[in-house]
Amino acid sequence: MASIQLKHITKRYPGTTVPAVEDLNLSIEDKEFIILVGPSGCGKSTVLRMIAGLEEITDGEIFIGDRLINEVAPKDRDIAMVFQNYALYPHMTVYKNMAFSLKLRKTPKKEIDEKVRAAAKILDIESLLDRKPRALSGGQRQRVALGRAMVRNPSVFLLDEPLSNLDAKLRTSMRAEITRLHERLGTTFVYVTHDQTEAMTMGDRIAVIKDGVIQQIDTPQNLYDHPQNLFVGGFIGSPQMNLIDATVEKAADGYCAAFGETKIGIPEQVMSAAVCADYEGKPVVLGIRPEFISETGSHSEEHNLMTGDVDLAESMGAEKFVYFACEGCPCIAKVPGSSPIQSGESVSFAVDCTMIHAFDKETGLTISK
Amino acid sequence: MKVKKVLNRTILYFLVALIIVITLAPYLWLVISSFSTKIELMSRQIFLIPHNITLANYKDLMSKDFIPAAMNSIIVTSSVVVISVIIGVLAAYAFSRFRFRGKNPLLNLSLFTQMIPPIALIIPMFIIFKRLDLINHRITLVMIYLSLVLPYLIWIMKSYIDVTPKTLEEAAMIDGCSRLKSFFFVVLPMISTGLAATVIFSFIITWNEFFYAFSLTKTLDAKTLPVLIYDFNSKFGANYVMSATAGVLASLPPVLIALLFQKYIITGLAAGAVKE
Repeated sequence: MASIQLKHITKRYPGTTVPAVEDLNLSIEDKEFIILVGPSGCGKSTVLRMIAGLEEITDGEIFIGDRLINEVAPKDRDIAMVFQNYALYPHMTVYKNMAFSLKLRKTPKKEIDEKVRAAAKILDIESLLDRKPRALSGGQRQRVALGRAMVRNPSVFLLDEPLSNLDAKLRTSMRAEITRLHERLGTTFVYVTHDQTEAMTMGDRIAVIKDGVIQQIDTPQNLYDHPQNLFVGGFIGSPQMNLIDATVEKAADGYCAAFGETKIGIPEQVMSAAVCADYEGKPVVLGIRPEFISETGSHSEEHNLMTGDVDLAESMGAEKFVYFACEGCPCIAKVPGSSPIQSGESVSFAVDCTMIHAFDKETGLTISK
Repeated sequence: MKVKKVLNRTILYFLVALIIVITLAPYLWLVISSFSTKIELMSRQIFLIPHNITLANYKDLMSKDFIPAAMNSIIVTSSVVVISVIIGVLAAYAFSRFRFRGKNPLLNLSLFTQMIPPIALIIPMFIIFKRLDLINHRITLVMIYLSLVLPYLIWIMKSYIDVTPKTLEEAAMIDGCSRLKSFFFVVLPMISTGLAATVIFSFIITWNEFFYAFSLTKTLDAKTLPVLIYDFNSKFGANYVMSATAGVLASLPPVLIALLFQKYIITGLAAGAVKE
């Protein structure tokens, strides 16, 4: 069991000027389940591969426990890794795939057998032990890959988008299974994904990465409630947050964010009067999550109205995503599935002002509380 | 419709039979000749089975220079196959997996050597080996054949290694392998079909090579089977029976190896040809 410290990590690939990862600092607690999330090419897999020792570090230091591992070979780092494409040895049976690492460590045969069978039992792949990987389905292969990592009882588990090759249904069940596995093993898990549902549901903490730089590290709920910048606000949450260019204006009873004819009040709990005064007349980006735009409600201190023509109403069964344009700005509202809203209609939506976010237009940093 | 189908079938079978005959007839004649007497072979009759089947030619051949020449062939060929596979596969791995200065020029250069016809190289080679006092040595043939076989082997094996997922090696390295161990435990088993195909390839090229062996060997210290077979045609006339008998025996190892690994040759050639 071990903590992981990444100190001022930079990775520059030969022949490129822009670093893949730049001055990255990350402290992962022992037994923590941390998620590295970000769009494709943001450097999250590079970070994971540097922890694994599969990628050289250009600058900085990585510690596992108290040990500096910059120059330690992958095999001596006491880690296990699950790859996106499973990376099962095709010429070996499931049993041999799982036993391979123990065999290399010259573990007694009896012990290997016990460990492999125990892992197979947990993952429900006992009946597959004699099969070759090509005779397995995607989900089964993923389980074997997990099993291969488990048998060694490593101090750190690294998972590189392990569910992205599975179909949606299987992904949901494997998601729960990996979470349970973490609870059961009590090991440090570092999990890379671009899927924010996986990030939100599985991790103790999430590190949101963009262009090789960590944007915010926090618990899933805090990331959702208090995004530190525009990128995190837009990235976390599905459907994504509505981001609207607006101007802070003085209103009769405080301040509001105005765009076109629409005005959304800024309550004191979102932005203090002092901050509002600083930004008066200046452009800001207003962030409103679709779930806080409802179809009903009247204009009040807490609820302000947004009106627009519905472009598309996507029914998801329990809920409906309504795409509409308000003052020329495309927005999404999340309303109950029973809502009668249809495309083509002109609808007034009520915005929960207490749940809005505001970001500095230039720096992209949050200015709301 | 049915008539047309039958006709198509017939034509197809006829063509296949024709191809088989054209391919096998020379070899069949070689075998027949080796069991015939010289007199019968020289007669103007055409026969499939000799009237007097004789093993005398084989007995005769054994008492001549066949065994030392066969030993030369076996030593030279097995040396070339073993050395070329070891060097070739490791070089192919390096070309496939590592970044280093001059990688592409080196790779192309290795193939460029194959574009020069042997006839243009033989005189300089002869002079070089003469100065090194290496004419009529088996090691000379081994060196030359390695230079013939290695470029192809590197290119073919590189294309196999290129399509082997890198993550498998990475998984092995995390599981506890060094780079070399991951190569032996993971990469090598995955490219085994390609390896079998290249073993056959370098075996056949080396075993059958005549031109360099003829030019650079003089005595049975280094003479290989193709040169020996040629030697049966002296200025006193061609000894067809001996040529045929030695030919049959010389053809057995490649035929056996090809039969044994024919599955690998087909999958090997197909898999190596296209980068998937």
